[in-house]
Amino acid sequence: MPTHADPPPAHRGPSPTALRILARARSRPDATALVWRGTGISYRELGDRASRAAGRLAEPPGYGPVAVVAEKSPDTIALLLALLAAGRPFLLPSPTLAEPVLRRLTDAAGCVATLSTVEYAGPAAAPATGPPQDGVTFMLTTSGSTGVPKVVPLRGSAVDRFTTWAAARFEIGPRTTVLSYAPLEFDLSLLDVWATLVAGGTVVLVERERATAAGYLADLLRHVDVVQAVPMLYHLLAEHGGIADLPARHVIATGDTLPDRTLAALPELFPRARLYNLYGCTETNDSFLHELDPRARPVPLGTPVDGVRSVLVDADGGLVTGPGVGELLVHTPFQTDGYLDPELTAAKFTELGDGSRYFRSGDLVRRHPGGALTLEGRTDFQVKVRGVRVNAQAVERALLEHDDVTEAVVLAVPHPVAGNTLHAVVRAHGVDSLTLRRHCAARLALAAVPSAFTFADEPLPRTGTGKPDRGRIARDHVNAVVK
Amino acid sequence: MPQTAADPTGEVTRFVLTEFLPDVAADRLDPDEDLVASGVIDSLGLLKLIAWLADRFAVPVDEVDLDPDAFRSVAAIAAFVTATAGRG
Repeated sequence: MPTHADPPPAHRGPSPTALRILARARSRPDATALVWRGTGISYRELGDRASRAAGRLAEPPGYGPVAVVAEKSPDTIALLLALLAAGRPFLLPSPTLAEPVLRRLTDAAGCVATLSTVEYAGPAAAPATGPPQDGVTFMLTTSGSTGVPKVVPLRGSAVDRFTTWAAARFEIGPRTTVLSYAPLEFDLSLLDVWATLVAGGTVVLVERERATAAGYLADLLRHVDVVQAVPMLYHLLAEHGGIADLPARHVIATGDTLPDRTLAALPELFPRARLYNLYGCTETNDSFLHELDPRARPVPLGTPVDGVRSVLVDADGGLVTGPGVGELLVHTPFQTDGYLDPELTAAKFTELGDGSRYFRSGDLVRRHPGGALTLEGRTDFQVKVRGVRVNAQAVERALLEHDDVTEAVVLAVPHPVAGNTLHAVVRAHGVDSLTLRRHCAARLALAAVPSAFTFADEPLPRTGTGKPDRGRIARDHVNAVVK
Repeated sequence: MPQTAADPTGEVTRFVLTEFLPDVAADRLDPDEDLVASGVIDSLGLLKLIAWLADRFAVPVDEVDLDPDAFRSVAAIAAFVTATAGRG
C-alpha cells in the first residue's frame, strides 16, 4: 500500500513553465490560450480549469508521480498545468497503448495513480523502480518503434530552457498562433503547446480523430503562424490537391525523412514561410536545425542549436574527425538526466573528455567533405546482407528520392544463406520493381538493392507519432511476397 | 530430350520475370538489361538461375566455366544456353 503520510519533499515547487503560464493568465487574462473545436479558451479560463484540477490532485495518495493518459483536450492541458504548478512529476502515456504496456510503463515510472480528465482510476501497483530525480516534471516516453517504450524524465529547468529557446527561435509571442499536430505525449508538444503557452501565444489543437483529414487541417492552418509536424502532415496537404497559400511564417518538419515530393510541395503550400528541418531525440530534445532549400538534396541535419555539442563515433568507438560515418552523440541544454533505469542510462549516455554527458542517438550520420551532416539511418536498422553492412533506412531514403515513390519501407528478413534479405514495401505511381532496382543500384551498394518488392495500393500503416508501423507492414505485406 | 535447337530467349525471359521480377510486364524487360548491375540477380539469384539452367537445359554446370558475365542479361544467358546446352 502506498503511504499517505509522506511529507512533501522540500524540492518540489512550481516549475518555471507553470509560473510563466500562470503569469500570462494574470497579465493578459482574455488572450486566447487554446483553440479547440472552433472555440477559444482564454488564459483566465485555462488557469481556472487548472485550479479546479489541482483540487483533485489531493486524491492520489503520497506525493509520487502520477500518470496522465494524454488524450488531447483543454482539460488534459489544464491538468498538466496543475501538475506543473504542484511540482509533481507526471508520466504521459499514449491513449493508444495496450493495457499491459501501459501497466509496465506506469510501474517503471513509479506512478502512484493514473489520472484522466474523466475519472480517478485509483492507485497503481507498488513502484518497481525508484522515483524520478528531484525537479522532474514531464516524463515522456520514447516512440517505441523498435521496442518497449522507455521513460524519459525531464527536469523543469531543462523544459524551461527549451521553451525559451523555441519561442525565441520561431518568433512565438503573444498573438502568435501555433498548430498542435503531434499527440500531447510526443516531445514535439514541448514546442507546439508548452513553448507557445509560456510565450503567451495561442495553441490550435488538432483533434486526434481528424489528424489525417487534409481539408480539416487546411482550415485550421488558415489561422496558424507556426507549424511543426512530422512529414506526414505536409504529405497529406500536398496530396489532397487544391491547398495552397497558407499563411504560416515558420514551417518545421521533424521526426522523419522528408520525401522529395513533399519537400518540393512546401513552397506552394506555405509561400510566406521559412521552412526548416529539425532534428532531435526525445532524450535530448531538438539538437540540429536546418533551413530548407527545397531544391537541395539530401537534406542536411543543419547546424547545432545554441548550446548543443555533438561528435561522431565509429563502430570501434573512435571519434570520426574528418569526413565519414559514425553514430551521432549529442549533448543539449534540454536533455534528460537519464532514464529511470540506471542500466539503460549507462548504456545510452556517456561522459566525454569535455566533462559533458552525451546521448548515444542511435542515428548514423555522415559528415561530408564540406562538413555538412546527413542522416544515414539508425544503428538499429544496420543489417548484414551477404556479408555487406547495409542500412535499411538508407535504402528507404534512396527509394523516396524517386519522383514516383510516395512511401517506402524496407524490412530486413532473416535468410539462412544471405544473413538477411531486404524486402521493400512501396507505394508508387506507375513504376515497376525493375525501374526501382535500377534506381537503387545507381545510388547504393548492390547488396542494398532490395531482393523483393511489394507494391501497396493504400497508405502504409503508421504509428501514433506518424512513423511507419514496421510490425504491421511486415505482417500485412511481407508475408504476401511469394518467391 | 532437353531442348537445344529453339532460341531459349523467351523461356529465359519468363524465368527471370517469374523468379525475380513478378510485377514487371514482359515487354518492359529488355533482353540486354544488365541484371547484375541493376541488382535483379544477386549471388543467391545466380545460384538459383544456374540450378534452373542445369535442370531445364541440361547445362553441365560442373564442367563449363561459370563466368558471371555470361549471366548479366537475358540475351547473355540465352547465348550461354545455346552454346553449352546438352554438351556433356
